[in-house]
Amino acid sequence: MDWSIVLKAMAAMAGAALLFGLILAIASRKLAVHVDPKVELVLAELPGSNCGACGYVGCEQAAEEIAADESDVSTCVAGGQEVANRVAHALGKDAVDVGAPKIAVLNCGGGCKVATIRYDYHGVPTCAAARALHGGPLLCQSGCVGFGDCVKSCPFDAMAMGPEGRPEIDIDKCTGCGICVTTCPMGGEGLLALVEEGAPIVVACCSHESAKATRNACPKGCIACKACEKVCESDAIKVVDNLAVVDYEKCTACGKCVERCPTKCIVTTRWFQPGGYPAAEEPVEVEA
Amino acid sequence: MMEAARTYLLLFFGAAIVYNILLIRFIGLCPFFGVSKSIETSIGMSVAVLFVMTVATSACWLLWGLVLQPLGVGEFLYIPSFILVIAALVQFEEMFIRKVSPPLYKAMGIYLPLITTNCAVLAVAVESVKPGFLKLNIPYHYSLPEAVVYAIGVACGFAVAIVMFAAIRERIELAPIAKSLRGAPIGFITAGLMSLAFMGFAGLFKL
Repeated sequence: MDWSIVLKAMAAMAGAALLFGLILAIASRKLAVHVDPKVELVLAELPGSNCGACGYVGCEQAAEEIAADESDVSTCVAGGQEVANRVAHALGKDAVDVGAPKIAVLNCGGGCKVATIRYDYHGVPTCAAARALHGGPLLCQSGCVGFGDCVKSCPFDAMAMGPEGRPEIDIDKCTGCGICVTTCPMGGEGLLALVEEGAPIVVACCSHESAKATRNACPKGCIACKACEKVCESDAIKVVDNLAVVDYEKCTACGKCVERCPTKCIVTTRWFQPGGYPAAEEPVEVEA
Repeated sequence: MMEAARTYLLLFFGAAIVYNILLIRFIGLCPFFGVSKSIETSIGMSVAVLFVMTVATSACWLLWGLVLQPLGVGEFLYIPSFILVIAALVQFEEMFIRKVSPPLYKAMGIYLPLITTNCAVLAVAVESVKPGFLKLNIPYHYSLPEAVVYAIGVACGFAVAIVMFAAIRERIELAPIAKSLRGAPIGFITAGLMSLAFMGFAGLFKL
């Protein structure tokens, strides 16, 4: 047996490996890119879901901007006060008050299984496509068509399609980033909206149609009867443009309007305790 | 002159379409299913593959022609040594691009590590020195320009297949499909149908 070929093979492989190793070692020195260590620190504090609610492409770009002082420590919309505090701590900056945290709510109590159907829709199953065809299959032009564009868009997995054909929002997971509001074709009209965390009641309707039109389209809609306005003792609910609007600063969570509403379109949230809603929110904790 | 141009053209189109690496030869299927969710990512992957494949094939061809073959060890050492070359090269390219062109790194940086272990890159490098793997009727092993044209052809075929597949998958996302078939299953069926279509090119021209 010719042993020289074994030696040659070993020499060829070892030589090549050594050469490449050497080149890589030199290259890693010569071509090293200086990365701001602050970016890593900030990035570690961000949620990392790349939701884009801050306006940057992802958490990494947001971290770069924050570290370079181009953007505020409270840039992260989804993270709220907690993340802003931690980012400020990581950078050794003063914490800022980002305001009360928000959550998304659906202002619709009807939707595709309750409201009157105008036509059978068999097109592309997205809300945007359904809405583009003559305003959607529902007679109510404001209601939820229920194809779940918002559910698919939620970067925090906080939404799911409920049995009634409307999205259900998991308050524990919702960060108030507002991606669903921008995704929803009716988000601009208030079908999905952000409210302050702690809001005890929500008007589950966003139709500004006249009472008659709303009544025809959906049994759950706000018919602007003003019963809530009359029963409210703290002047917190007003009918504006055929729709009840709650002023959360004044609302005392007495629950009278919820009882009184003839179409039951005012619904309670988990923060509803009769008389328990603090008119002035307890101050948000800001770390010094 | 004409003869040479004809060879290169046939080599290019033969590699890109008739013997499409994804749809006819089923090599490099991991990125084909992994990064074909959207057209954008599939284009990024295609550009990265084109770049790495061309450079890696040239480097492997040089190693084969200048070191392995003269030493007489090429016959059994080509696969391990080519893996070595490709892995080191991709590492180097990643560092180089990151230094020289940050925008390009952002666009294709995440795809580069994925290609390190891509079998399509190794296949092309091997075929450029061992033409028996691909029956394009070239009895000798490719010259360096031929190997480069061949690598570019394969990478273009890869790009055509993966971008078309991504476009179809984007449509499928919105189509009413039975729940059990959503995602990967319908992807496999789609790939199979595309492969059938590409088989129509078989024997289109001979080298």
